[in-house]
Amino acid sequence: MQFGRGKPSAGVFYDSAFTTIDDILTEALIYGLQGKNDCRVAVITCSRPDLATIGYVEMVERYYHGPAGNFSQLPAIGMPTSGAKGETPKAFVIPFTLKKLDGTPVYKNEVSSVIETGDPNTLIRNYLEAQNDQNAFFVVAGPATNIASALEFRGMKDLIAAKIKYLVMATGPGEVNIKGDVAAAKKLFAGWPTPIFVSGPEIGDALPFPGASIEKEFAAPNTDHPVADAYRLWKPMPYDTPSYSMSAALYAARPKEGYFKLSDPGTITVGDNGKTSFAPSAQGKHQLLIADPAQKEKIIAAYVELASAKPAVRQRFRPDAAAAADGQKKAGDPAAAAAGEKRPGPPKP
Amino acid sequence: MTIPKALPRRTFLRGLGTAAIGLPFLDAMAPALRASTIPGGAPIRMAFFYVPNGMIMDAWTPSWEGKFQDLPRTLKAMEPFKDDFIQIGNLTHNTGRALLDGAGDHGRCSGSYLTGIQVKKSLIEIKNGISFDQIVANQIGKKTRFPSLELGMEDARQAGDCDSGYSCAYTNNLAWRSETQPLPPTLDPRALFERLFGTGVPMTPAEKARQSKYRRSILDFVTDDTHKLETTLGPTDRRKLDEYLSSIREVERQLEHAEKDNSQVDPHMEKPYGIPADFAEHFKLMSDMVAIAFQADQTRIVTFLMTHEGGSRPYREIGIPDGHHPLTHHRNQPELMEKVRKINEYHVKQFAGFVEKMKATKEGDRTLLDNSMLVYGAGLADGNQHLHEDLPTIIVGKGGNYIKSGRRLVTRRETPMCNLYLTMMDRMGVNVEHFGDSTGRLEGLDLA
Repeated sequence: MQFGRGKPSAGVFYDSAFTTIDDILTEALIYGLQGKNDCRVAVITCSRPDLATIGYVEMVERYYHGPAGNFSQLPAIGMPTSGAKGETPKAFVIPFTLKKLDGTPVYKNEVSSVIETGDPNTLIRNYLEAQNDQNAFFVVAGPATNIASALEFRGMKDLIAAKIKYLVMATGPGEVNIKGDVAAAKKLFAGWPTPIFVSGPEIGDALPFPGASIEKEFAAPNTDHPVADAYRLWKPMPYDTPSYSMSAALYAARPKEGYFKLSDPGTITVGDNGKTSFAPSAQGKHQLLIADPAQKEKIIAAYVELASAKPAVRQRFRPDAAAAADGQKKAGDPAAAAAGEKRPGPPKP
Repeated sequence: MTIPKALPRRTFLRGLGTAAIGLPFLDAMAPALRASTIPGGAPIRMAFFYVPNGMIMDAWTPSWEGKFQDLPRTLKAMEPFKDDFIQIGNLTHNTGRALLDGAGDHGRCSGSYLTGIQVKKSLIEIKNGISFDQIVANQIGKKTRFPSLELGMEDARQAGDCDSGYSCAYTNNLAWRSETQPLPPTLDPRALFERLFGTGVPMTPAEKARQSKYRRSILDFVTDDTHKLETTLGPTDRRKLDEYLSSIREVERQLEHAEKDNSQVDPHMEKPYGIPADFAEHFKLMSDMVAIAFQADQTRIVTFLMTHEGGSRPYREIGIPDGHHPLTHHRNQPELMEKVRKINEYHVKQFAGFVEKMKATKEGDRTLLDNSMLVYGAGLADGNQHLHEDLPTIIVGKGGNYIKSGRRLVTRRETPMCNLYLTMMDRMGVNVEHFGDSTGRLEGLDLA
């Protein structure tokens, strides 16, 4: 290790279908975690070939990451070029039509073609190679299409085993992320070389993200914030939204925080109809997250704090205790990339 | 010399045990066929011209893709050859990145450029991989006198620290025969000349002195063979042969001129005898010989390290006394960036001279350039930030009516450079499933 001090922050590989506002809140949350040096965003991949959605996800990433600078480039978003595209949520499209008072666009879509994206396997491989051993994790919040493909990619399984400590999967409402690609889910649970933790639908339902925080903690109604704008556009405010994906990301980044209880180890199998079954076994590599009502308030507070955190310049290494304490005092300084300019009013769905 | 009915492709003009000059393709080599048809098709040649320290990308990358419009500033010298090359965007060498090995992007990027392997950070324990040009040379090299030629312009040190703990073996070689054995480039034009046109038998110092004293051309040694051959050739072949031998004589003259200059102007210069002090003159000499070697099918594979990574060569000839590498860490200061742009342009201008020669050389019903794939590129994109993605890359020539040139092709971000190498290997007749960090063949390069 040549630079900095302390242990390198863990790398996050976030793979999602990006079909819900929860998936975008999760993107915001992992950047909030990065701002606190709990992890570093390695690469984001989307499990469906929807360029319009990628444009929005990339814009959010740019918002948090800030402009590319010396030795700090914005990675491409990974996207497969085949498979079902699915529907692009309007809340991911309308933000690009918003205008400032001077008539210029509030947000710029920089993904106009597939060449602005990357092949998920290549990206995952390239960014895995840059991680320290057992110092990275996956958060999967969509069908396991990309993950199953990665497992079959040349040399990747060994690389995953070396670099990845665990994978946390959000199965989504009605286990839609399993049913969305049953074959991929089967490959994931049968062949993934590290422990897998599963956040089932009951977790997300029990821990709704509070929509009220959008107007309070995120941004004032007339201030630009891509996540807040999409939240407002998703459906008429006020509303709370289940945290299927957020719960998985929160556990992945802070497994020792005690937010969730865990089942005994076991093995998950996926049936041909997409139904999952869990068989306890001491040798099993799979565990289920269990909601702990006593932790609900703490978890929701963490959601709000992390997802609404202002963009912060990424640091490669965790500071030592003294530096961390010093950093706490300076926290809250928004990065230059944060938009925050005044405009006529909030968007409506 | 006996002249068979069809002149063998491997005919040499020989003389007095000191010269062996290969011939270009002549109609007499395929008398039964149409004059412009080369039996079995023309061989495909491939060459890599490597420039170091990245580029100022705003002058390299246009805002458009597809058919060439106004060429970006750095490529202006390639304007006459607009229809003969393709620019490729977004190619990436992940193995040039730090990947937990810390500083040393220059050492890594050149070391891995043709190998696609993350080189071992060490001064002593050198470890890389076989470069793809050598995989091709191993397969097809037997068809030519030299399986491959490795050329350079400066600094052939093979040991020492050339970048943050990376051995000079990584910065000063492009071609690797094995994971531990680089192929050091020939820097001296005289050495290259004697290699190409000599018999391989080293001359004694007395012989060298005698040749030098009487300033005899290598062509003088093959006069008898030349005359005998000429009597069997038709007028077209005689003209071709005359042009070809004239080009060798021209190289010889340049070489003598350079040697004379070196001995008179700068006796303390570190460069070996025969290496011109002037960058452009040196490049022209070396690249002229590459063209001759390709024309005579002496080799089909060339790697050419124009200067090496981290090199601090000044370019006083274009008014830049500062070292190249320090300038590339310009910290976005406009005046420093402008100097780097000028160096980038200067390098391309030299290369364009070589392209011109390749294009002017007829081969069958095409040109030598049409039957080649000349890659001009760098192992870093932005040298200030040490970026390993979107590496500056053009391929000049059509690889034998294969590459759809005259356009800019942009691949998906992070597309491995090794994907291009796999495709080029296919074109060279060498089929390999995987190379370096390749993820497949490069799509969109061909005419289809």
